[in-house]
Amino acid sequence: MKVHVKAFATFREVMDSQFDMDFPKGATIHTLLAELTGKFEGLGELMFAAPGTLRDFVNILKNGRNVHFLAGLDTPLDDGDVIALFPPVAGG
Amino acid sequence: MAVLSKEQKERYRRQIAVVGEDGQEKIGRTRLLIAGAGGLGSTAALFAAMAGFGTIRIIDPDCIEETNLNRQLLYREADIGRPKADTAAKALHAMNSSIDVEPVTAAIGTAPARDLIRGIDLVIDGLDNYPARFLLADAAWKCGIPFIHGAVEGFYGQVCTILPKTYPCLRCIVPNPPPVRETPIIGVTTGVIGCIQVTEAIKLATGTGLPISDHLWLWDGIRQKSDRLKIERIPTCHVCGKDEYQIPTGERVR
Ligand SMILES: [Zn+2]
Repeated sequence: MKVHVKAFATFREVMDSQFDMDFPKGATIHTLLAELTGKFEGLGELMFAAPGTLRDFVNILKNGRNVHFLAGLDTPLDDGDVIALFPPVAGG
Repeated sequence: MAVLSKEQKERYRRQIAVVGEDGQEKIGRTRLLIAGAGGLGSTAALFAAMAGFGTIRIIDPDCIEETNLNRQLLYREADIGRPKADTAAKALHAMNSSIDVEPVTAAIGTAPARDLIRGIDLVIDGLDNYPARFLLADAAWKCGIPFIHGAVEGFYGQVCTILPKTYPCLRCIVPNPPPVRETPIIGVTTGVIGCIQVTEAIKLATGTGLPISDHLWLWDGIRQKSDRLKIERIPTCHVCGKDEYQIPTGERVR
C-alpha cells in the first residue's frame, strides 16, 4: 500500500519535504518511523527521546488526526494515508 | 458611530481603495490586544498601527536587550534597558497619533487572562512560549474572542486563527508544547509571520475573505513554500471538546 509522507518546519533540515512510501499490509506508524529514521540521518535524534519513546511534542498526524490520540506508534497505516510529521515552533 | 474624518480619508486613501470607507471604519472600531512585544508583536503592532486599528493594547513584561535588535523593529539601540511595552507604545504613537495605545508591562499569568482581554475584539499572539499562549488562548476561546496564533523558529513559521466556538483550538494544534528555550530566530521570519497575523486581523475586522481557521498555515522561508496542514480536533480536548461547533465562514465573526 502507498502512504504519502509530509515533513514540516525543522524536520526539513534532515529529511525530504514530501514523498510516497510503500508498505506491506499490517504496517504501523512504528514501521514508518523505523524506515524513516534509517533513511534520514539525524531524524531519530529529533523525534525520539530514547529508543521507542517519541518526544511528546512531535506531532504525527494521520490524515489530520494526531496519532497520540489514536493508537500511538501502533496506529495502523492504510492505503492512501497522508502522514504529516510536524514539530510545532514556539518562538515569537 | 463616528465616520471617517477628512484627515483619515486622506491618510488611509490607498487602503480605503481596498477595504472601502466602511471597512476602514470597522478597522478603526476594532480593539486589538498584542500579546508580547518581541519579534512578532512589534511587527504586528507596527502594521496594525499603520492600518489604523483604533485601540492597540500591547503587553510585555520585559525590558529591551541588545539581542532583541535583530528582529524587534520598534526598538533602537538607545532603547536598550527600557520597558518594551512603553517603548513600543511611544513608537506606535509616533507612527499614528490618532489611535489609542495602551502599554501594559506585565507577564501573562500574573494577571487573570480574562482581565487582559476585557474590552478586546481580537488577540494577536506574539508570545514566545506555549504555557502563556494557552492561558490567553483558552480565555479568548471562552470569551468569544478570535486568537490569531503565530510562532517562529529559524526560517519557519506557523499561523492559525483560532475562532471561538469552532475547532481546532490551540490545544488541539499543539497538544504537547516543545520545551521552553531560547529559540533561534532570523528577523525576516518574524516579519513574514507578524504581517500574516495582521492580514488575518484586517480580514476579520472587515469581514473580508476566509480566515486561516480550519488548518494550520506553515511558512518555509528556505524553500519559499507555504503549506496548509489540516488538523482535526482532539476528541478529548478540554477547551473545544464540549461546545457546539460552527463551520467557519467568510462572515464577520463578531
Ligand atoms: Zn481543542
